[in-house]
Formats: sequence, C-alpha cells, structure tokens
Amino acid sequence: MAGSDVLERLIGQVRWQIKKRRAEFYGLRGAFYGAIVGLVPLLFKGAVGHIAPIVSLGLVGLGAAAGALHGFALRLSAEDVARVADRAFALRDRVATALEWASRPDRTPLVDLLVADVTARITGLDGRGVVSRIWPRELKLLPVPVFLMVVLALAPSIPLPTGRLPALSPLQDSESPEERAGKVLTDERPKTDKRQPLQHVETLERTLAVRQGSPGGSHPGDLSALFRDTALAAQRPDFNSFLKKGDERLRMLEQVDRLPDLKRDFTQSQYKLLFQKRKALFGGLRPDQLSPQKLRDLLEEMERMGRKGGNWGGDIGEGLEALDAGQTDRALEAMEKALSRMRAMEERGRDGRGLRGGREEDRGGRGRGGGGEMEADFSEGEGLLPGKGRSPNPKGDATERLRAIPYDAGVEGESRSGRKEGYDTNLLGKGASVPSRLQYLGVFGQYRKMMEEAMAREQVPRDYQAQVKEYFDSLEERK
Amino acid sequence: MGHGDRVQEFVGAFGGLKAEVQKVIVGYDEVITHVLVGLFAGGHVLLEGVPGLGKTLLIKTLAAGLDFSFSRIQFTPDLMPADIIGTNIILEDAEGRKHFQFQKGPIFAHIRLADEVNRATPKTQSALLEGMQEGNVTVSGASHPLPSPFFVLATQNPIEMEGTYPLPEAQLDRFLFKLRVTYPALEELNEIIDRTTRTREAEVWRVMTGPEVLRFRELVREVPIAAHVRELASLIVMATQAQCEHAPEVVRRFVRYGSSPRGAQALVLGGKVRALAEGRYNVSVEDLHAVARPALRHRIILNFDGEAEGVDVDHLIGQVLEQAEGVSRRGKEVFLR
Repeated sequence: MAGSDVLERLIGQVRWQIKKRRAEFYGLRGAFYGAIVGLVPLLFKGAVGHIAPIVSLGLVGLGAAAGALHGFALRLSAEDVARVADRAFALRDRVATALEWASRPDRTPLVDLLVADVTARITGLDGRGVVSRIWPRELKLLPVPVFLMVVLALAPSIPLPTGRLPALSPLQDSESPEERAGKVLTDERPKTDKRQPLQHVETLERTLAVRQGSPGGSHPGDLSALFRDTALAAQRPDFNSFLKKGDERLRMLEQVDRLPDLKRDFTQSQYKLLFQKRKALFGGLRPDQLSPQKLRDLLEEMERMGRKGGNWGGDIGEGLEALDAGQTDRALEAMEKALSRMRAMEERGRDGRGLRGGREEDRGGRGRGGGGEMEADFSEGEGLLPGKGRSPNPKGDATERLRAIPYDAGVEGESRSGRKEGYDTNLLGKGASVPSRLQYLGVFGQYRKMMEEAMAREQVPRDYQAQVKEYFDSLEERK
Repeated sequence: MGHGDRVQEFVGAFGGLKAEVQKVIVGYDEVITHVLVGLFAGGHVLLEGVPGLGKTLLIKTLAAGLDFSFSRIQFTPDLMPADIIGTNIILEDAEGRKHFQFQKGPIFAHIRLADEVNRATPKTQSALLEGMQEGNVTVSGASHPLPSPFFVLATQNPIEMEGTYPLPEAQLDRFLFKLRVTYPALEELNEIIDRTTRTREAEVWRVMTGPEVLRFRELVREVPIAAHVRELASLIVMATQAQCEHAPEVVRRFVRYGSSPRGAQALVLGGKVRALAEGRYNVSVEDLHAVARPALRHRIILNFDGEAEGVDVDHLIGQVLEQAEGVSRRGKEVFLR
C-alpha cells in the first residue's frame, strides 16, 4: 500500500531508538549489580591477589554488557512502537491504527484515507531522539558500590581468620584439669564420683513413679510433678545453663502462689457430685415424671451440705416446702438455684482470693436491691450470653415469673464504658433479679444492616434516605 | 463521491447544524456537540436539568435545523401508552363496512421530544422501550416500523421528585447519552437576555435531510479503531463494576451495578462520531475520554452508601478513567517489559 514504506521507516527508526534506550536502561542496572558482585574479590583481596581490582572491574563491565544485551534483545512489537511514535509526535493514535488496519482484509475506504493522512503527517519527521531516556532506580545507588570498590582497592587486604575454631564442647576438651590449674590445686579438691550417665525420659518417669509410693517420697509441693507433662520434661538437665542465664523452671519456682494445689481433687467437688446426682435423677424424664422421694433425698443431702457453711439453705428449705405442697416445679427451681449458689461458692473458693471484678462492685453500688445478690454469682461478661453462664442450663437460667403486680416492671438503660463499650438495658422491679443485657453495638449493627438493605431494596425518596442516614449516624455517635 | 469528500461533507454538515442550533442556544457547546454525536451515532439522548435552562428549546431548534418530522409529547401521570403509540379505531368505508384502522401516535416521527419523561407512569414509559430499541412498535399483534432515522430526545427534571417515576435502569440503559444541562455563565446569561428579549428572533435553516443523516451514520461506523483504544474502552467499562480487579476504591465502595456492554458500545460509537467530526479517520484515546461521562453516568447505579454520601457519578467516572488509563499505560510502557 502506498505510504506503508514511510510508515515502516518511521517504525524502524523509533524501534531502534527504543532498543537503544532499553540497552542503556538495563546496562546501567547490570553495572550496578555487577559492582555489587565486584566487591567480593576486593573483600578477599588477600586470597585473590593483585588481580582483584581487575576482576572487580571486569565484573562491573560484564554486568553492564549483559544488561545492555538483555535490554536490546527484549521483544518489541510493532504495535508498541507505533504507540510510542503516536505519543512522541502527538498523532492521536493515528500510526497505531493505520499500522493495524492497513494489513486487515476487512479494511474500509477510510483506512486508506487514514494511511494517506498519516503518511502526509510523518513525512519529514525525524524518528531519532523521540524516545526519552529513562534512568533506572539503581543508578542513584550505583555510587555506593563504586565508592566501596575504590576504598577496598586502596585499603590493605582484610586478614582472614586462620587456624581451627575453639572447641566449645566440654567432651572434646582435651585439656586435663591438671594442665589448667596445676597438679597441687587439683589434689586439694575432694574427688567426686564419676558422673552418672544420662538416662532417658522414660527411665526418669519410671523412677519417679516408684518413688511416689515410698514413705516421704511425695509431699505437698512436690515440684517434680510440675514438669512431667511439659516440654521441659524431655529436655536434658543442664545445670550450667541453669546458673548462667536463668532457666524457665527457676522463674516458675519463684512464683509459688501461682502453683496449683495438686493434692486437691477438683473432679470430685461437692457441686460436681450433686450435679451428677441431679443428672442421674432426671435421666431423660420430664419434671412431672420425677420421683418425689428421690428429689426429697437429694434436697436433704444438699441441706446437710449447706449447714457446713453454704448459703443455699434458704433455697433448699423453700424447695422442701414446695415439695410438701406437691409443687415439684418450684422444688426443682429451688434446687437449681441452690446448685448455682454452690457452684458460685466453689468458684470463689478455687481462686483462693475472693477477688471480684470492678464491674461487680459497680453493680452493687448502683443500689438495685435484690439484683446485687444474684449478680454476684456471675463475673464479667459471663452468664449474660448463651453458653457463657455458669448455670448447668446451656442457655442460662430461665427468667423468673413475675408473681407480683404485673406493672411492677420497667426497663432502664445506661451506657457502660470499658474496654468494650456498650449499653445496658435492665429490667426494673421483680424482673431486675434477672438482668437482661444486649450488646448495643451488636444490635445497632444489625439494625443498620437491615436499614441499608431496606433502602437498597425499596423505593425510598432521596430526601428520606438522607434523613434515615442522619438518624443512624446520630445513634452511631453515641457509641 | 469519494470517501474523502464524504468525510469533508460530514465535517461541514456537523459544523453547520451546530451553528444553526447555536443561533438560538447560547453556550452549551458541549451539550450541543453531544446531542449531535448521539444523532449521528444512532442513539437516543436524555437531557437532565432544572426547569428553564433551555432543554426543550435546544431540541426544538435542532429539529428545526433538520428536515425531519418532529413531535413533542409532554409526559404527565395520566398519559397512556396508546397516547404515544397510537390505537386502532373503527372506520366505515363507502359501502358501509366497518373495519379497524391503526391511527399512528406521536411516536411516529423522526425526532420525538419526550418532555419530562419521568412524570409518566412506568407503563407509559415502557411504551418507549420497544420503539427506542427495535425501531418498531407492536399494536394488537401487528408491528409498525418507525420512520428512520428515529431519534428520541427526552428531558427530565432532577428536582420535584414528588409524583415522579424515576426511569428504570433498563430504560436508562437504552439512552446512548445522558447529558447534564447546567446553569449558564454570566456572559452567556447576558447573551440569552439579549437574544430572547428582542423583537426579532433568530431564524434557523434546515441544513440536513433524513437520508443524509442515514448516510452519515453508515460512514461513522466505518471509522477504524486501534486494538489498544478498543481495549481501553472495555477496561473503562469493566472498571465501573465493583467486582473488577481494576476498579478503583471509590467504585468498590459506592457502586452497586456498573455499566453494561452497551456502555462500551456508546463509548466507541461516540468516539467515532467525534473523530469524524474533527476530520480524523481513527478513534483516539482522547475521544473516549470526551464521551465517557455522558455515555456512562446513567449506567452506573450507586449503592445505598453512595446515594447517602451524595457521591457524584461524574467524579467517580473521572477516577475510573484515571485507573483504566493507568492500567493501560502500565501495559504500554515498553521499557519495563
């Protein structure tokens, strides 16, 4: 086609320019990395000898040449070249379009006009110097290895460490005690028995097991049991490291108050026993199918335990009275309450310190009457959400029925600050003994999502959308 | 006549028609250009602006500059589909026999102005759909072809939303361009006052006929487009979709639905008309940028956050263009490959 020669000549010129710039770009990159590698012979100048600077320079040159060759050999399509030419001469994609369409069989008469137009525009244009030079980032860093090369070339060679490394293992120490301290000193020291060979872990455990049965072998605070199930048990005792840098075991021994009382059997607590009995009593039966006599026996056993210092005597008494009156439901309710108290007391006794969370004290200080007593059974965040309470019922205790005036109930709310801020809504009146709390942020997020879905789904006027959005924003600010 | 002459004829006709419109309409150079681009690309145009900015006058002036039949329908809530399309009426011939005859509605015109299109009910709006897309209407099972060229210019008012029925997305998508008519500048307003308060109004000459417009439409479609420009058009459209990997952050956050493939067609067709109107024989990247906003702004549906935050779709398209151009340039950079 007429004009293609001019087009191809321009493409050829621009292609050569691009290849040249690429060679420069990658050549400088290669020189940088060559200079980095070239530092190595200079570092070992002593070993390499007087040819080290020449080798270094050779590596720099080799890197530059390899980079330039790589840049020059990179693939370059005619379309890319045409686009560069378009940008260089502000031809608004004429060259690229003409080049692409000139060889297409479905070209329209407008393509011929386009080629003619492009030819007229590029005739007389010089394709050289249209591709601007791009410097690689490595060029800024190139002076650093070059400077280091000069310094290393001028500096004396770095002495390399010679001879064998000192033997760190005591078993390989060939020097005898006499050689280190002299014969007289060693003679004055009492001779110790030959060191016992190290035993495997299994052997150690077997030995300990035998010792447990022996009189005086096991006593309160026997710390050997502490390590038996830890990773430390598998480690070889190394008393040198014990003394030098302080072993983890030493740190553990210092914290005596954190050590559990291993003598106590937590699996056979009062609460556990009674809970298992209660479970056996129910055995898949409905409350109305329970045997009143067995229930009475269990309540009486709980009452006996309560006399020794438990605070569930009142509940049990109420339960027995209810059983006498034939109200099994109330008796069961009282039993559950007593079990909760028993568990709470045991929990308090287990930590040994009777510490209470700051929030519990806050609750007590709010003066909500009977609510404080019940809340003491729960610690921070527990008993409020399904599965987090200490009640045997996985969903928590059932809300008590309001037997008093039906209007003797209300809801109060107050914001709660802390690590995770929230908003409490609590019942007033009889229901206050079973506080109901919802995580404000969780509820707010749910409602906000519902609002957004409704807005997206329904046709809501734009003005109203803004109002609803503002309302939710104002709620969010209270977080 | 050779193709070179036809191109020169098109350039002259485009400029001539624009000059005729500008005899009456002050300013709005870009809006007028885009309306003409829509006309020669074979699409329909939606104009949006507050009342009194001259949208209707612009369209009427354009119709006056073309030797076309022109009809105007003021859309109201009680307008029925039959009021637009037409209806069958009973006629009695000379022998006394009665028969149905289709009475054509105002849709059977070359240029149709649908004024305040969002005031009609969806049922009536949907009567436009078949005509706009297919070029014919069906009444009682019989199809009636619409005259060619068929060009719908609709206006709508962005305020006074009470009692309006926003055009559904499917119907919006059938408009090639959506143009925003904004307030005129001070000098333009002075000129408007001068022109409209005189005794003699400007006279508009007819400079183009229907067959000429059809010939120019064919010519426009012959304009070649380079592969990388076409790819950029596709990339722009893809980047309006939130799930696209090249979509900018603002699209991911605020867009519910991005542009359909019709958006890419509008970009390329609009670019072809612009290129030819400038006497160029190829579509350039700049052409795509010039038509991107009118071609895409009604095809991008914002999500709730976008609506509530008042995100400007034009601004969003600007970011889409930057992103797509960046991705395209990275591919173009010959040194780093």
